[in-house]
Amino acid sequence: MAEVRLEHVWKIYDNGVEAVKDATFTVEDKEFVVLLGPSGCGKTTTLRMIAGLEEITKGTIYIDGKVVNDVEPKDRDIAMVFQNYALYPHMTVYENMAFGLRLRKFPKAEIDKRVKEAARILGIENLLDRKPRQLSGGQRQRVAVGRAIVRNPKVFLFDEPLSNLDAKLRVQMRAELKKLHHRLEATIVYVTHDQVEAMTMANKIVVIKDGVIQQIGDPHTIYNKPANKFVAGFIGSPPMNFINAKIIRGEGGLWVQTSGFKVKVPKEYEDALADYIDKDVTFGIRPENIYDKMFAYAPTPENTITGMVDVVEPLGSETILHVKVGDDLITAKVDPKTKAQEGQNIDLVLDMERMHVFDPETEKAVI
Amino acid sequence: MRKFLFSVLLVGVLILSTVAIAKENALEIFSWWTGGGEEEGLQALFKLFHKYYPDVKIINAAVAGGAGTNAKAVLKTRMLGGNPPDSFQVHAGMELIDTYVIPGMMEPITWILKDMGALDKFPKAILDICSYKGEVYSIPVNVHRANVVFYNKRIASEIGMEEPPQTWHQFVYYLRKAHEKGYVGLALGDKNKWTSLHLFESLMLAELGPEAYNGLWKNKTSFNNTGIKRALEIMKEMLQYVNSDHAAMTWQDAVRLVFEGKALATVMGDWAEGYLKTLGWKPGVEFGWFAVPGTQDAFMVVSDTFGLPKGAPHRENAIRWLKLIASVEAQDIFNPIKGSIPARLDADKSKYDVYLKWSMNDFATKYLTPSIIHGSAAPESFATALMDAINSFVSTRNVDKTFKEIIMIAEDNGYLTK
Amino acid sequence: MRAKKEIIIGILIALPSIIAIAIFVYGFIFWTVRVSMSNWNSFSALIRGQYHFVGLRNYIRLFQDDRFITDLWNTLFFTLFFLLGSIALGLILAVLVDTGLKGSQLFQNIYLFPMAVAFVVTGTVWGWIFAPGIIPNDPQGVNLLFKQLGLEKLIWGWYTSTDHIGTFNLALIPVIIAAVWQMSGYTMAMYLAGLRSIPQDIEEAARVDGASSWQVFWRIKFPLLKPITFSALIILGHISLKIFDLVFAMTGSGPNFVTDMPSIYMFELTFRSNRYARGSAIAIIMLLMVAVVIIPYLVSSMKEEVRR
Repeated sequence: MAEVRLEHVWKIYDNGVEAVKDATFTVEDKEFVVLLGPSGCGKTTTLRMIAGLEEITKGTIYIDGKVVNDVEPKDRDIAMVFQNYALYPHMTVYENMAFGLRLRKFPKAEIDKRVKEAARILGIENLLDRKPRQLSGGQRQRVAVGRAIVRNPKVFLFDEPLSNLDAKLRVQMRAELKKLHHRLEATIVYVTHDQVEAMTMANKIVVIKDGVIQQIGDPHTIYNKPANKFVAGFIGSPPMNFINAKIIRGEGGLWVQTSGFKVKVPKEYEDALADYIDKDVTFGIRPENIYDKMFAYAPTPENTITGMVDVVEPLGSETILHVKVGDDLITAKVDPKTKAQEGQNIDLVLDMERMHVFDPETEKAVI
Repeated sequence: MRKFLFSVLLVGVLILSTVAIAKENALEIFSWWTGGGEEEGLQALFKLFHKYYPDVKIINAAVAGGAGTNAKAVLKTRMLGGNPPDSFQVHAGMELIDTYVIPGMMEPITWILKDMGALDKFPKAILDICSYKGEVYSIPVNVHRANVVFYNKRIASEIGMEEPPQTWHQFVYYLRKAHEKGYVGLALGDKNKWTSLHLFESLMLAELGPEAYNGLWKNKTSFNNTGIKRALEIMKEMLQYVNSDHAAMTWQDAVRLVFEGKALATVMGDWAEGYLKTLGWKPGVEFGWFAVPGTQDAFMVVSDTFGLPKGAPHRENAIRWLKLIASVEAQDIFNPIKGSIPARLDADKSKYDVYLKWSMNDFATKYLTPSIIHGSAAPESFATALMDAINSFVSTRNVDKTFKEIIMIAEDNGYLTK
Repeated sequence: MRAKKEIIIGILIALPSIIAIAIFVYGFIFWTVRVSMSNWNSFSALIRGQYHFVGLRNYIRLFQDDRFITDLWNTLFFTLFFLLGSIALGLILAVLVDTGLKGSQLFQNIYLFPMAVAFVVTGTVWGWIFAPGIIPNDPQGVNLLFKQLGLEKLIWGWYTSTDHIGTFNLALIPVIIAAVWQMSGYTMAMYLAGLRSIPQDIEEAARVDGASSWQVFWRIKFPLLKPITFSALIILGHISLKIFDLVFAMTGSGPNFVTDMPSIYMFELTFRSNRYARGSAIAIIMLLMVAVVIIPYLVSSMKEEVRR
């Protein structure tokens, strides 16, 4: 069993800076958990506390049921892949991978077996005699992963391993890491600021901002039911539209009124908004939930808005429109066959089932 | 174009001015008198010179450091380069003769002394040391005695040394007594190596006697003789009563041991007397002296002299300088300041302290012998080779081996070894 | 056309330096070799200017000279222990300073300071410190300290001692101590720079891999410091082969030449004994010794350049 549990973990530096505040979450056995957040949010610090490279100021960390607060990194049965790979420059690929096992006095045959096996899995058998400076970025990254694999640890820790790779390689490696996860049946804690990586690879995402965990959930939940405005805006590209609005009573129920349009709230959400009638809220709708009327399923006057196209960004597979509606600029991801043109008006249909409302002060999600 | 002409003009002016300076009425004196009493004495001589020749500009080309090693090196370069000073300090004897007289770079100056009527005012022996093939080549200004023992009077009376020992056996007897009482018998400081030869050459003098000793340098006495071997044996015996850390001490440190009441005596030239006086002692009060036992009839000479190089830029002034320093007036001004005795016999004794008076008496009456280590008896290559051999001897104490070495060194330098 | 002009200008700019080096370095080396094969072993021989070619006679005589052989052994042992001492002590100090404990910046400056002192001063002062005094009654310096601490057993003659183990003269020990004191700050500074240039995540990766602090140092950091070790060996090595002012000021040749060095012998032969040819021969031998150390260094650093 390789479960990692954090209970009310804090990291406070000597100068008083609180990098991690009251972090509590569990990484189940064989789970792939991603710590996601912008730079400086404390995700790497949290990872390093799990690794034992950073002292824990308050709280407890359990690995496999045992308290590891004061345990040395080498005794925690973990392996780490660093952002800059941290390969030993003076050793060959083989020696890099064998180093940990040699330290633990594994028999030579066993070391050889494991190294070759890991090399085969990662496709780097032909690089075993090379030194790190002779490898490309992607190859080095694989060696770093290989170094972790041979140790067969309880937990793998990844610190933004793909951020130094070019875009194409990154896409490729994402898939490979996911496959690796299944193959090794490993418990993985993975740190990144890239929400695409998080969404594609994680079983569970922990979203962190300024040292505080914002939401813990699987990608589906995080995407569809963000707990607050931050999470909602962080996940999804292009990011969710946030529009200042007011909830008003109108024909047939509640309406969302903004400076440029008025759309009807679906019946099932009316109870949740009871406290917000005639109040200001932040209205959220994702670009991918806004359609060019020409290609929308069920356009009605209650979910249609009109605006003027400001910028058209054709991506081939879809087209992104920046549309001015009232005082707001709305981003919509529409069918690539759209006839929208800059400077012209367009009708957009909002999928109101997928609407979000956030409390303007707490920024927590109401819907 | 204008710039070019201007620089030509500038260069021309510079060249002319250097020529002008060269032709200037000047006198360049080269020495290594840069410390303490020496410098003072030199300045006093310059002042005296100015009294008679106020229009002459004196250039003091003294070079500091290394007890003259630096100065000698600079001088060699200048002499080789045909740029001699008007006159330079040099030890009496072989240091000058072998280096500059034999290659023909010095003018004979016997006539200067004759003109002054001063030929008989110096002991003949010292002029002999300064001569080559019958001509005098340098004029001695000051004289130090090398074969002196200085001792701590308090310790001496404590061990019952009332009279100066006359023989080696007596001296060793007192050294042993001092040793038994917990004192160092003979203080030696041979970190700079030359002091052990300084000691040994006095022992050579004692065992050979002054005539035979002088004969060594005239190819009349062979180096292969028992006197030298005996000198080594005596030194071996004396080394038993020498301070164990002699290799870390300079001659001044050794004299200090006597001053601090840690050692009975030290063998050193009488510049040690000057040093003891600067430390605060008075001659005859706290310290006493006697000639190195066995050499009471000899005076081991260490003397600074000045000569006349060929091609001296201001020859007239150089000759004036030489005449000046050969005079009683100059010698009696210089020597009391420096702490040495004049080379002239008709000096005013009242200007000198009780030790120097004793020294002057002996200088006038005893056999004069040239010092090896102070540049008078032999060329430098012989002196340094012998110095190294004796220095080894101090550690190895191997009489036979060192004796053989001495013979080889003598042979290498053309001395008699049959 | 332009390239040609640039080449010519380049050569012209370098030309004064090339000429100066050709004359003052290589010209003089050639002249020294010439003198070393001559009979100029006295001032009069020099003045008379009669040059007799005697081939390698001066060299052969040197290798038959006990003093010179002693000098060579002294140089060997001095170099060996000086290098070991400076590198080991410099490394230890660098590791200590690198831990970043309070006051490490202050200590870094303290350790580096001796380098600013001239060798002559170092030699003179350490000469006083190690002057043994009269054993056993009146010890001085370090010996006095030993006596006061009750460590009388440790009192010995230091550089006045003629004791030796084989051809290793124990009197060299205080000289080595003084030299290491002076130069270990330099190696410390170099190693400190090296340690600080090792990325921290390599150290962390090693810790996670299971390395203890010692193993991190010995198997990861030290191998990465190899270029610095090599550099230090070369630079300190050629200094120690030519060492003169430290030894001359501190001990001179020493009793029975126990601390004599080829440079001191060369100095005495040339400037005291006027034996120019013999002195030149020693100079050439010293040049060859240094070349043996420096040339591999130059070759390997030129190879590095080419590779880059």
